[in-house]
Amino acid sequence: MNDISKKSAEGGFSTVGAVAALLVLAALYAFPSFVESPYALHMMILLFLSTIMGESWNIIGGYTGQYSVGHAAYFGAGAYGTLILLQKWEIAPWKGVWAGIAAALVLSLVIGSICFRLRGPYFVLASIAVAEIVRLTVLNTPSVTNGAEGILLSDLPPFKIGETVITDFVSKVPFYYIGLTLALLTILATWGVQNSKLGYFFQAIREDQDAAHSLGINLSLYKNIALALSAMMTSLAGAFYAIYIKFIDPTTVLPLDLSVQIVLIAIIGGIGTIFGPVIGSLVLVPLSEALRSNLIAQGLINSGLVKEDSGLGVFLKEHLAHAHVLIYGILVVVVILFMPDGVIGFVRKMSARKR
Amino acid sequence: MTLSVFLQSLISGILIGGVYALIGIGLTIIFGVMRVINFAHGDIMMVGMYLTFYLFTLFHVDPFVSIVITIPLMFLFGAFLQKVFINRIIGTLPQNQILLTIGLGLIISNSAMLAFTSDYKILTTSYSSGSFKLGEISISQPLTASFIITVVITAILYWFLMKTDTGQAIRATAQDREAAQLMGINVSRMSMLAFGIGAAMAGTAGALISPTYYIFPQVGSAFTLKAFVITVLGGMGSIVGATLGGIIIGIVESVGAVAISSDWKDVLVFAIFLLVLLVKPSGLLGRSRM
Amino acid sequence: MAILEINHVSKFFGGLAANSDVSFAIEEGLIMGLIGPNGAGKTTLFNCITGYYPPSRGEVLFKGRRMNGLQPDRVCKLGMARTWQKVRPLAKMSVLDNVMVGALCRTNSLKTARAVAMEQLQVVRLDHKAGFLAGGLPIGERKKLEVARVLATKPVLLLLDEVMGGLNPAESDEIIRLILDIKRHGITQMVIEHDMKAIMRISDRIVVINSGEKLAEGSPEEIVTNPDVVAAYLGQE
Repeated sequence: MNDISKKSAEGGFSTVGAVAALLVLAALYAFPSFVESPYALHMMILLFLSTIMGESWNIIGGYTGQYSVGHAAYFGAGAYGTLILLQKWEIAPWKGVWAGIAAALVLSLVIGSICFRLRGPYFVLASIAVAEIVRLTVLNTPSVTNGAEGILLSDLPPFKIGETVITDFVSKVPFYYIGLTLALLTILATWGVQNSKLGYFFQAIREDQDAAHSLGINLSLYKNIALALSAMMTSLAGAFYAIYIKFIDPTTVLPLDLSVQIVLIAIIGGIGTIFGPVIGSLVLVPLSEALRSNLIAQGLINSGLVKEDSGLGVFLKEHLAHAHVLIYGILVVVVILFMPDGVIGFVRKMSARKR
Repeated sequence: MTLSVFLQSLISGILIGGVYALIGIGLTIIFGVMRVINFAHGDIMMVGMYLTFYLFTLFHVDPFVSIVITIPLMFLFGAFLQKVFINRIIGTLPQNQILLTIGLGLIISNSAMLAFTSDYKILTTSYSSGSFKLGEISISQPLTASFIITVVITAILYWFLMKTDTGQAIRATAQDREAAQLMGINVSRMSMLAFGIGAAMAGTAGALISPTYYIFPQVGSAFTLKAFVITVLGGMGSIVGATLGGIIIGIVESVGAVAISSDWKDVLVFAIFLLVLLVKPSGLLGRSRM
Repeated sequence: MAILEINHVSKFFGGLAANSDVSFAIEEGLIMGLIGPNGAGKTTLFNCITGYYPPSRGEVLFKGRRMNGLQPDRVCKLGMARTWQKVRPLAKMSVLDNVMVGALCRTNSLKTARAVAMEQLQVVRLDHKAGFLAGGLPIGERKKLEVARVLATKPVLLLLDEVMGGLNPAESDEIIRLILDIKRHGITQMVIEHDMKAIMRISDRIVVINSGEKLAEGSPEEIVTNPDVVAAYLGQE
């Protein structure tokens, strides 16, 4: 029962796995040719965004076991870095994003040098404190960041190679492809980490820091590498969010809530696995969108469970949309209590029991 | 900054610090007995605020009188949370404990949003903006009242923990869970009591600040963070430390707002927090090691 | 030639001395036994030697190089590896992966590391469990895993902290054979052990520590007849 049969499914790709992966990939790339609904595309883009965030956190939290609850800081660094350069100096986002990544890298090194001297819950608290300092600093330096007003992107320049316009970003399709590609890249990066010395060292640190240290692993070096990788990937998500939504402010890209949501994506799917964050996103994004867009309230009414003109019906329609974060709370409590290894761990355990 | 301005902010810092201390004491008792860092602490406090608000608007119970009702209700609420959720994860990975309490906090705050909407509520009493003068310095009446109540409650709690059998059993559990169990102390009951007391303290703090603060479902998270700063500053698990930490943070905020700017006062608080974590992670009075 | 020299090492915690003025040397290729009653400061000495905390006073010389202040990962890279009294398996990784982590101390290639790891698993006779999760092993196999993992870091000096603790006689015998096997490969060892019979059988020299101080040093025969040692042990029991 202890035997690790996951190796073939995750480490080296089996033939069946490779074919399945290629089919999924082809379907994902063809998706916009068949589905034109902007809402469907929007949902897919949110899925990609969530996957990028979850995979990024997974590197430091899932593989290395350092539960950073301050990842909004890196998300914000990517978002602000890209949009400030675009708004103030008209630097195209595909160039500006590098500034965002660099900002996240620098930030992660500063945070790492402070926080990695602490372990366990103290590390968690420190990561929150640093992220809050970043949020308050952005809020309080309006000359650079526009403060609480935020930055509204009025005009996204078309993407040109030479003089040829590749896309003008009018529809959602180019964002779909950017999101898909970035999500695939982060999955690939995670795969690369898992199948390298880094992955082994990260997991050894997660399992037992003292043992890892005694086996020749430089703890602060490898923790900092993990955090830097994770931070840069998260900033990519932030930059993508900024050019897609075209509006950022401290309450949308830097709050503690966002840091928590990033953690939950990986936790719910299953930490320290390549596809955990993908599963987590598949669970979280549709659920919270259904709540946000009142689908659930409408569904309850349509199904006849709740009468539309009854007090409850009116109440749900009016307020359920505001409480979409509720689902995050319920899910995390359920996951921690009943499936601490996430959906993937739960499924694995169940299938092992059957065999 | 003139002397009177300084004294003014120092005194209001101490007064609000008393309430902070109450929040911190709740967190520190929970941590001391269960080694669980309660990320839902501020949200529990928020429940206390709404309770006080509705007792006042529906039944016209004065906020400072209503704590007689708030304390036992919040105690039961805390004991319930402990029994149903927290108790199941004692001794597991600290990360999972943190995530569970974060999840509970999200559920509490978002349920409050469902029930009460996200509108800001204001509890206005006849004395909400009242103050009395001491020379050039004006002192807020509600803050003074809440400070006095805080002192009384802290004293009672201290007496309870030091002098009663149950209090000693709680302290024994905090010192060494296994040894306490071997000595026949019902550890899981002590945990329930501790979480109940912690929640009651947070709820009381919520009641005491409700005449002077906006009440809204998300008010808790800022106070959760403050509670961490206070308890880490004083030393996780130390009640005297939390009291001291609360008053220090109150003063830093209040004087910092005048001396630097109110925009940056929270940055100052977090910077002090990090400094303490790095220089003396056991806190000013703590013994607990990392 | 002495591979490890411990010169006047003291370690204080607060005002209490866990080790005070301990000195001895280990000759290359031999097995040094380290014995003493519980709380005598044996594990503290291991921790001082391997960089988990710096000695308060005195110095540790490894292959003539001063080790004070070096971090455990550097110590391991220089060729001194230790096991833990309370075993520390990387629970959610496979047995093979555990040993590979050790092997990756010397190589960047996963392929090489996997080969080295399999080799070490064969040495401790745990290769049939390579794919199992380390957290699920029984205590005897955890101890073997611990040994295989440090061997994979290619040490020249191995510090074993009670690898026989909690084992049944058959398992202990297997560990004894393993330790003698390791000696044949030319690896110097320092062994903390409570089982007197075992320690007398494997050690070339023995150091006795009592209340943080060195009480005696000598060959196993000298130790069993040393009146101080007899008094300390008999007085204890």
